[in-house]
Amino acid sequence: MIAIRTFKSPQHRVGWPWQKKNVKSLRSFKDLSFSVLTMMLARNLVSRFPALAVVCMVLAISGCATKPPASDPAARAAFQETNDQLEPFNRAMFGVDQTLDAILIRPVVSTYRFIVPEPGRRGVDNFLRNLRSPITFANSLLQGNVKRAGSTLGRFIVNSTVGVLGFADIAADLGTPYQYEDFGQTLATWGVSDISYLYVPVFGPMSIRDGFGMAVDNYVFDPVTWYDYGKNPGWVKWSYFGALLIDVKSETMTATDELKASSIDYYAALRSAYRQNRAKEIRNGAAAPAPKFTSGEDDPFAAPPAQK
Amino acid sequence: MNTSRRDFVALSLAATTLQTNLAMAQDWHNSPTGLVERFAQLGITDILGAAISQREKTDRFRTLFKDFFDIPTIGRFVLARFVRSATPEENEKFAALFEDVIVYTWSRRFGEYKGQSLKVKDSGPDGDDGALVTSDIVGNDGQSFGVAWRLRKRETGYRVVDVIVEGVSMAITYRQEYATIIQQNGGMAGLLAQMQKQVNDLKAKVG
Repeated sequence: MIAIRTFKSPQHRVGWPWQKKNVKSLRSFKDLSFSVLTMMLARNLVSRFPALAVVCMVLAISGCATKPPASDPAARAAFQETNDQLEPFNRAMFGVDQTLDAILIRPVVSTYRFIVPEPGRRGVDNFLRNLRSPITFANSLLQGNVKRAGSTLGRFIVNSTVGVLGFADIAADLGTPYQYEDFGQTLATWGVSDISYLYVPVFGPMSIRDGFGMAVDNYVFDPVTWYDYGKNPGWVKWSYFGALLIDVKSETMTATDELKASSIDYYAALRSAYRQNRAKEIRNGAAAPAPKFTSGEDDPFAAPPAQK
Repeated sequence: MNTSRRDFVALSLAATTLQTNLAMAQDWHNSPTGLVERFAQLGITDILGAAISQREKTDRFRTLFKDFFDIPTIGRFVLARFVRSATPEENEKFAALFEDVIVYTWSRRFGEYKGQSLKVKDSGPDGDDGALVTSDIVGNDGQSFGVAWRLRKRETGYRVVDVIVEGVSMAITYRQEYATIIQQNGGMAGLLAQMQKQVNDLKAKVG
């Protein structure tokens, strides 16, 4: 109960003194900058642990990872493989995230999983997936994938009607599985690099590119933002965000728990797993090419000469 | 006279059966999809669905894992550039610990088995002399997720060198995690110490 109340409290704290005078411009600013929510959650946390703010600030300033020297090409290649330029900062954020997860998010998600049985959770997941169809539609077009845009539109029409507002994924049963595109993926297909791995508390692992992509999707393509825009007190947006958060955490909890249990350095394991999974999304699910050693010459899984 | 003749018939029959069995064994070791199917089948009938103690399940899994996976190759892939800088003793210790880590992390979850089955979808060439087998693990609720198996040909047939779940390769994940630990947490000795601790913890949990 306490956890749920704490989760709601950011809503009451939104009231900046100047917000009422020019709601529109500031609302749009708020929407653009997803980090406001993080900031508020952080404020919540910081009010409990003031020392945390100092720690975070120090790390944010000294947050860049040192790149290995050019004299060690293998180490450098490994550094580029994980591309975590902000590692010290990210690890600090990861710590904040894990604390928030333990005291706030996990209790809420566990309660949700306890109250709502699996078919109900599936329905909620389907509903939220259907709601973001315009984002996938727009990004498919931006990636030049007209076919995918078409099938996304088809799915949206079928699921919104026959599938009762999207709660049932009828289109998948009819042979058109769910597709997920976002602006981060669009940028990737345009050749934009992910700049650096980034860990944002509550939002989890991402990259600088994908964080920017998320803001664009939210601000430009998300139908809930359109609905919310200068129209209502914003509770739709907040409920939507809360539902999304609980749904995503609930869907990924088993996998992340397993990774945590099987790893020594959970931060590094999650970074690796996330980046591989993200690469798969960008490839649209195509099989990954066989991995190469950093020299790029031999099959790294080849038997050593002695064994042959 | 009569008996020895009968014995001979019986013996030759037994020999033929043995040969067919061997041939069948050869068959699945030489077919990428056959190997994956066989691994799943043995895993389900002899371990996951078997009415035996957890300890016995763990032992059986270790045998199965060694038989179907090329563990030394996976270990070398995971250590990557650190293989050369480590001492032979360190490499040996790593190989043993790495096997334990996988055996115990997998066997920790045997109790969660709820009748899922594996359906092999396709197989294609991969690497120099290998194959990539794609499959789906299908649960009773109809939910499924994709698992790909990277195989390489060895003298005695195919062996698994990597398992890829939803695009996440087990070998790459371990490689990147361990590289981070080696660099930031006391080098190879640090990694081995932490792996030893993890194995002890897992062992205590698995029982």
